[in-house]
Amino acid sequence: METLGIFKDVETATRAVDGLIKAGFREETITSLTSAPYPDGVIVKTDQRTWFRWMSAAGGIFGACAGFLLAAGTAYVYPVQTGDKPIIAYYPTGIITYELAMLFAILGAIAGMFLEMKLPPRKERPYDPAIADGFIGISVSVPPGDRRNRAESLLKEAGALRTTSEETL
Amino acid sequence: MSEPEHALAAKSAGQLNDEMLSSMRTPTWQWYGLAFFLGAVVAWGISAFTYQVMTDLSVTGLDRPVMWGIYIANFVFWVGLSHSGTMVSAILRLSQANWRRPILRAAEAMTVFSITVAGLFPVIHLGRNWVVYYFMPYPNQRGLWPNFRSPLLWDATAITTYIIGSSLFLYLGMLPDLAVVRDRATGWRKKVYAILAMGWRGTAREWVVFRKASTLMAALIIPVAVSVHSIVAWDFAVTVVPGWHSTIFPPYFVIGAITSGVAAVITLMIIIRRVFHLEDYLTPLHFDNMGKLLLVICLLWSYAYFVEVQTTWYAHEPIEWEVWSFMSGKYTPLLILMLVGNSVLPVTALCFKKIRRSVRAMLVITVLINIAMFIERYLIIVPSLSHKNMPFVWGSYSPSWVELSVTAAAFAGFTLMYTLFAKFFPMVAVTDVRELGVRHTDIKLGRTKVHSLSEEE
Repeated sequence: METLGIFKDVETATRAVDGLIKAGFREETITSLTSAPYPDGVIVKTDQRTWFRWMSAAGGIFGACAGFLLAAGTAYVYPVQTGDKPIIAYYPTGIITYELAMLFAILGAIAGMFLEMKLPPRKERPYDPAIADGFIGISVSVPPGDRRNRAESLLKEAGALRTTSEETL
Repeated sequence: MSEPEHALAAKSAGQLNDEMLSSMRTPTWQWYGLAFFLGAVVAWGISAFTYQVMTDLSVTGLDRPVMWGIYIANFVFWVGLSHSGTMVSAILRLSQANWRRPILRAAEAMTVFSITVAGLFPVIHLGRNWVVYYFMPYPNQRGLWPNFRSPLLWDATAITTYIIGSSLFLYLGMLPDLAVVRDRATGWRKKVYAILAMGWRGTAREWVVFRKASTLMAALIIPVAVSVHSIVAWDFAVTVVPGWHSTIFPPYFVIGAITSGVAAVITLMIIIRRVFHLEDYLTPLHFDNMGKLLLVICLLWSYAYFVEVQTTWYAHEPIEWEVWSFMSGKYTPLLILMLVGNSVLPVTALCFKKIRRSVRAMLVITVLINIAMFIERYLIIVPSLSHKNMPFVWGSYSPSWVELSVTAAAFAGFTLMYTLFAKFFPMVAVTDVRELGVRHTDIKLGRTKVHSLSEEE
């Protein structure tokens, strides 16, 4: 379950985060929702490591193999004799291999990015449209029950304008 | 604090959103009038093309020996223009130049629409357009397979890659802005933007992944852009046509593409600034910096052209020199206009800060650059084909009304796509610009307060 509190500025939002951490909530379960990116640690600290680049690399390797098979493989299987020119030529094969490698690297990067962000989400998650106009959301992932109520009261004490909760995975 | 930051610091997030999203307000009658006019020009071009398809290529000016004319000039020109987004957006993003922020969206959108227009021209200029699918590599009953040894197929592959890559690059940059638009929209628009925003909420983790993905995409798209225009250059350079068979063509074409792309971005910035009242976001500082970039690129172009002509002149190989003499003799006014527009005027004028910061002067210079770049493409293609190795097949070319109509439709179509884009999507990178606001602060240093901007590694 996610509990979201909406704050009017950075100071009240960081007060809420400090209050939650002091009350025993782990920082990994707390995140900010903002319409502009803040430097890491200003509101919450986040793991900066990502893995989606490996998907881009895998896409690139797949694309290179596909390009090679397309240019060289098909030329071998369906040879087109044009004068004394080679059936499989280095430069054209290299160019097609490179282009398809780049194409699939780009596709892999985008797919990996969405997978890592877990978008589009499978369930409704708490959100407030006021975030788009500069308000800051502080969200805490907690099991339903006392912890959720405690998180909600801490957010309100820190100055949350309103709070919402949603069941999430 | 710099000029843009002064203006932004005084405004709330809601006010910034209102101003930067002003292009998406309810269309005025002037907007409808413009869209109708552009649509009419596009329709006229389509009807001219339909007449060409129903008749044959004799309705164009194309004939032996000039089998490539204004259609191919258009193709090369529009591919060149597509380098705008890559060079301006991707390179400035990687170098973390903060002044890039209000310019990104215009540049990236221009890339997508210009490469789309470019991709139409190889199809338009075919004699049998209805069999264009022959170039697709799939098992078929025809006993035909695409010849990957042909530069024309390298073109098809590269342009397909670039269209997909630059569209994804544009979409990626727009993702947080689509969420802002979603939150402010109502009715069916809200549903559409919600789908496009993919459930973006702006969590800290989403921003981390987004920032790294933007950097990675910028790094991937740059080599694709360089390869696309190099491959277009090889369409000419790997032939044995005098005037074309030159090793400098690929870098020369890439430099020319960057020149026209950067100039076109500046032209669009000026128009967008005026039409949507974005004077606080596109300030003289932005034009000053883009002007410096344009000056460097124009110097590079001038150098490349000088080298090209100098080696031809010095070697004085008969047919190569014949082509150059023919071109400079028959097309003297166009050649002079090209040299003035691409080299003499920008290199002299852009040295002066007063001119770089003058919006009117920049508009004149950049429009002239793109006119000159179109002429440059024409002067590469037509004179060389007109005067190849065998004097008894020398000929001439002038574009027909069909070709001119299709050319006009290409410009109108590009402008129409841009106009529609501006109405439905944010023309300024909203969250990118607002990021500058959240990262800056004034700190006391010594006897005064200095402006400080936090950056992440």
